[in-house]
Amino acid sequence: MNPAKSYAHLFSPLGGEGADNYRAPNVLTFLRSSHVPLDAAALKASGARYAFVGIPFDEGNVGKPGSEEGPREFRLASQEYFTYWFEYNVDLYGVAVDCGDASMPKVSPEVARERIYRAVREVLKAGLIPIIVGGDRSISIAATKALSDHIGAGKKMGYLHFGAHLDLADSWAGEKHLAPCALARITELPNLDARNVAHIGARNAMNPKDWIDLAKERGIRFHPMFELLQRGVYEVTAEAIDRVWQGTDAQYVSFNFNVMDASDAPGVTSTEPGGLESREMMRIAELIGQRKTLSVIDVSELCPVFDVSGTAARLAVCVVTRIMAALAKERGEEIDASIRRADLLSGDGKSA
Amino acid sequence: MTMKQESVWRVVPHQHRGPAEHTGAEDHVRSPRKHNGSFKSRGLATFMGAPYCPPDRDEIRKMGAKICFLGCPWDQGQIVRAGTSQGTSGLREATTQYFPYMFEYDVDLLTFFRVVDCGDIPNVPGNNEKSHELIDQYITECLEGGAKVIMSGGDHSLPIPGSRALSRYMAKGRIGYLHVDSHLDAGPDWAGNKITNCSGPARAIELPNCSARNMAHMGSRNSLNPKDWWDFYVDNDIRVIAMREIVERGIEVCTAEIFEIAWKGTDAVYFSWDTDSIDISCMPGSTSPECYGLKGREAIALARVAGRYGCDVLDVVELAPYFDVSHMSIKMAANMIYHYLGSRARTLIEQGKTP
Repeated sequence: MNPAKSYAHLFSPLGGEGADNYRAPNVLTFLRSSHVPLDAAALKASGARYAFVGIPFDEGNVGKPGSEEGPREFRLASQEYFTYWFEYNVDLYGVAVDCGDASMPKVSPEVARERIYRAVREVLKAGLIPIIVGGDRSISIAATKALSDHIGAGKKMGYLHFGAHLDLADSWAGEKHLAPCALARITELPNLDARNVAHIGARNAMNPKDWIDLAKERGIRFHPMFELLQRGVYEVTAEAIDRVWQGTDAQYVSFNFNVMDASDAPGVTSTEPGGLESREMMRIAELIGQRKTLSVIDVSELCPVFDVSGTAARLAVCVVTRIMAALAKERGEEIDASIRRADLLSGDGKSA
Repeated sequence: MTMKQESVWRVVPHQHRGPAEHTGAEDHVRSPRKHNGSFKSRGLATFMGAPYCPPDRDEIRKMGAKICFLGCPWDQGQIVRAGTSQGTSGLREATTQYFPYMFEYDVDLLTFFRVVDCGDIPNVPGNNEKSHELIDQYITECLEGGAKVIMSGGDHSLPIPGSRALSRYMAKGRIGYLHVDSHLDAGPDWAGNKITNCSGPARAIELPNCSARNMAHMGSRNSLNPKDWWDFYVDNDIRVIAMREIVERGIEVCTAEIFEIAWKGTDAVYFSWDTDSIDISCMPGSTSPECYGLKGREAIALARVAGRYGCDVLDVVELAPYFDVSHMSIKMAANMIYHYLGSRARTLIEQGKTP
């Protein structure tokens, strides 16, 4: 055991001030991580791999409001979990920092989009992976543009989209940057080839004909739910992940948890029946993490006011952290399995 | 069997002997003739509409009860959110929506097992030790009365006094201990406290007649499982069937495996079943529910396989109706017990045995 390093967080608490109750942190942050200001130099100095940024913006929605509360609920749900994963023997302690929420103006969506863009670029500039939690799906438009500009014209990016809706409206009531326009705008990025785009989970009738037409026109490969069920969830997902990672320098993974069946994620703005089950999504999260590299993770459209017993928020946390855990294992970051809680105790049974 | 014993059961369900006369000894297994009987008109809400029996070994023996239901509204032994003190009344409420007859097993659970409801175990707020002592005493009374115990929680610290009581009752023999849960729950202590809801297996292994080779854990997943909990199973060489393995191999074969472990060379088995082993979509009314769990049909399959083997104490814990939706969680919990009992009854009948 390296005496210079703290291992206490791997274990159930030893007791004493500040270590009694893992659900009562001093400050509410993603996975009880440190707060670091949204500043490239500070982020770089943190030594973390991921930076969490909340994006409480829901003025891009055309349906139900409520995703503004998403980041808060996501952080709350993350308090239920430890950084240690017995399934992978890895420890996510110190792997992430929390930059707080990007300040969102009211009734100024253009200003909001600019701030989302700047937040994501700042994290990327520091060399960290942004984990951004919305907010509605329109946040992905600004965030993907940030990744696209960050890597520059000479590099290629891939984009993986989970959701029940294709979000391929070229415009909606004349507006071009709303949530249902997300994939339409994203597939216009100069360094994103349609061959590196995949959409998973489309189903049901909130997918008007112009969206399907645009997908065909742009050559966007989407895997509807029926295809997943007929060909097998893992086979299709692996194929989609291959497209996104094949020959790309950066990868953007975007979740709307309405890809899940409504029973597995009631707390999203637009639930849909007939979706994925949580055990399937857990395998998918692992497949993504096993790629070892990714550039941005976003989660949008969480809607705590509709949630039941924290179902959707807990699922979202488990998916994001499972990607992180699988990725850490794939990178050979398994911890020394021989460390024991008793090693932390000195002879008198008190914390050493 | 004396007439006095018979008479208790002739008036089952006992609550409806008022002016609207009960219409027959077996009415509780049929559609009502004159009035609704105990179906939804619950009188005093007891588990399964069973008669009340004082939690006293002589009374239990006098009634010939073979299953005692104990409510245990204790939720101050937990490290997660509170709410399980309502679990036991939630579970009784759910059973008012069912008949004690189960067609799948063609058996009337109530009269086959002579089920009684011994009410709720009292507790001492703010005092986990004293509350556990009461749980220990109540379970001991039921076991000494010749019955097996179904205990409705309450938080998951319950198996600590529960398995202690079984261990003492079976002092001359050996016991097995099963823990089905999304969490490994094997903390040596939590901030110094050794009897919280995350130390059941860690305490069970310390019992004089319970050894690691008769213990197993099933259903673990996700990251509310600090490393010392995992190390417990590694260091003691205890079988863990994590969720991934259940998905790959199927719930029935996995359940059979853990019950084989628990019954290998033992005389009694304690089976602790946390409601959060079930997927949050089917069991939102639990205190730390988790995705990636057993689906409703798998939970019932688990209960059926468990019924083939049986156990001496079954606890169903961490049920928290506050977080429930449309009664799905409390009805799930009731069905976990009903299908266990149904399958147990059918197994005994086929073996030519009585409970």
